[in-house]
Amino acid sequence: MLTIGRAQISVSRWQLSYESRIKFWGILFILPTILFFLIFKYGPMIWAIYLSFTGYDIVTKPKYIGLSNYISIFKDPIFLQALNNTLVYIVGSTIAITIIGLGLALLINTGIKASRFFMSSMFLTNIMPILAVCLVWRFLFHPHGLVNQFLSPLGLGRIDWLTNSYLALPAIIIVTAWRFAPYFMVVFLAGLLAVPKEIYEAADIDGVTPFSRFFRITLPMISPIVFFVVVVSALLCARIFLMPFIITGGGPGGATRVLSMLIYETGFSYLKMGRAAAISVILFLIMMVFTILQIRLFSKTEEY
Amino acid sequence: MKKQIARFWTLEWLGVLPLGALTFLVILPIIWMISTSFQSGDKMYQLTTEWIPSVFHWENYPNGLSRSAFPLFFLNSFIVSAAVMIGNIIFCTLAGYGLSKYRFRGDKIILLLILSTLMLPLEVTLVPTFLIIRKLNWLNTYQGIFAPLLIDAFGIFLMRQFMLRIPTDYIEAARIDGAGEFKILWKIIIPQCKPAIATMAIFSFRDSWDQFIWPLVIVSVDEYRTYPLGLVRFGEDYGNPPTEQMAIAVLATIPVFLIFWILQRSLRTGFTMSGLKG
Repeated sequence: MLTIGRAQISVSRWQLSYESRIKFWGILFILPTILFFLIFKYGPMIWAIYLSFTGYDIVTKPKYIGLSNYISIFKDPIFLQALNNTLVYIVGSTIAITIIGLGLALLINTGIKASRFFMSSMFLTNIMPILAVCLVWRFLFHPHGLVNQFLSPLGLGRIDWLTNSYLALPAIIIVTAWRFAPYFMVVFLAGLLAVPKEIYEAADIDGVTPFSRFFRITLPMISPIVFFVVVVSALLCARIFLMPFIITGGGPGGATRVLSMLIYETGFSYLKMGRAAAISVILFLIMMVFTILQIRLFSKTEEY
Repeated sequence: MKKQIARFWTLEWLGVLPLGALTFLVILPIIWMISTSFQSGDKMYQLTTEWIPSVFHWENYPNGLSRSAFPLFFLNSFIVSAAVMIGNIIFCTLAGYGLSKYRFRGDKIILLLILSTLMLPLEVTLVPTFLIIRKLNWLNTYQGIFAPLLIDAFGIFLMRQFMLRIPTDYIEAARIDGAGEFKILWKIIIPQCKPAIATMAIFSFRDSWDQFIWPLVIVSVDEYRTYPLGLVRFGEDYGNPPTEQMAIAVLATIPVFLIFWILQRSLRTGFTMSGLKG
């Protein structure tokens, strides 16, 4: 008994050191990443929060001014407009991306001949450098550009897409959907392929209509993917910078200026770093809402 | 039964036309870009009549390249993107392995903290990150451009999800045989993760190839300018023909296209197997 007990102790002691040696390796593998994120993600975030309570112009030292930056940005119509634009853009683009992406995936999934080839072709919109996308679409939306030429049979006349303050943001949403929907099409397709075939076969035997087949079977089965796409595209759109910067330059009259552009202008054109940091914090809060949703989803579907 | 098969057949074939037309419409802007890059400058807005130029103006390419230091800008973009890609391959693989195959106190919190960095893109941390790089005296350097992009949480997530599917028995068996942890990673894990690594490599290359706001903020000399900065400036200078700008845009598309094309197969596996299934 005693010897067995001692043997067990010594074994477990040996295991402990063996296991902690393994643990040590695990931590070692993650360590560079942790350090990197502390230096380039969490550190800057804390610094941004600190700076948002100061007046700072890079040349002189940051001066503590309390909530002044926040109070002043929320009285500033330019900021409020940019905040509004950002939210409208996030909602509009996310809806467009999700619906178009899912629609395309369903089309590809019907098993039409050569659908894989069509899918790869459409994915090209995601391979083109985003700057090239912006430059091309700026020409396409020109009053004499391709978009208006295509719409001319409808008799709408010459539409000033980029200089009309009601159409400029929708135009950018169109470009966003064109760029990103084919990417999420592939994500949706992976989800659709994972739905067990037996369910559809059973439904076919029961004579289910295509309509309820989609809303009663497909959609519930892929709802985690839909949620994933919504959150990821919302995060993607919240940080958009290049599209409005290149296509409209934020105009007309600030109708397409988004928060990231305002951060850049405030911080680097006007050198109001404290104020720019305060705007960053607001953008951060918007992104945090989506991130929390994503983490919730992730913890739900996670199998440990 | 016969009728059903017939219906299936016709649907399969009849669908080709509308889907093909839709695909064509989607990629029309890309065709426009390529077509425009061969047009003569004054034909810019008459394109519906001439999708295939009657005369191919190949000279748009050398002319465009020579109007600014584009070869240098492309080289700079290559250096930065390659560094980002290598950084992601090394560190995301390590972290993904550490987070999928090791258990230690706080591992889940670390995973959540890593995933949370998705809400801290450079657009949000622009000001302080700039101040950090300035303190390091890295303004106008390669390392200044690529350092903040070296590790991306999405890559870690991808690697981890992929590695979770590798049976832990392999690792245990290798440990019993006396293999070190690094050797296990190198000999057992990495060979099985090639599709995921390829997927991550492609996307990290593309993202840094696309990166605009960050070099815009920290690069102010031509020597370190990346091609997007050069291309935007090119358009702003009065008198530069848009056809030549499109030629540069086509050139900028080619490297990304080639990488996607070469790694296509891995990409498909990486996509369907890395937990994007939800």
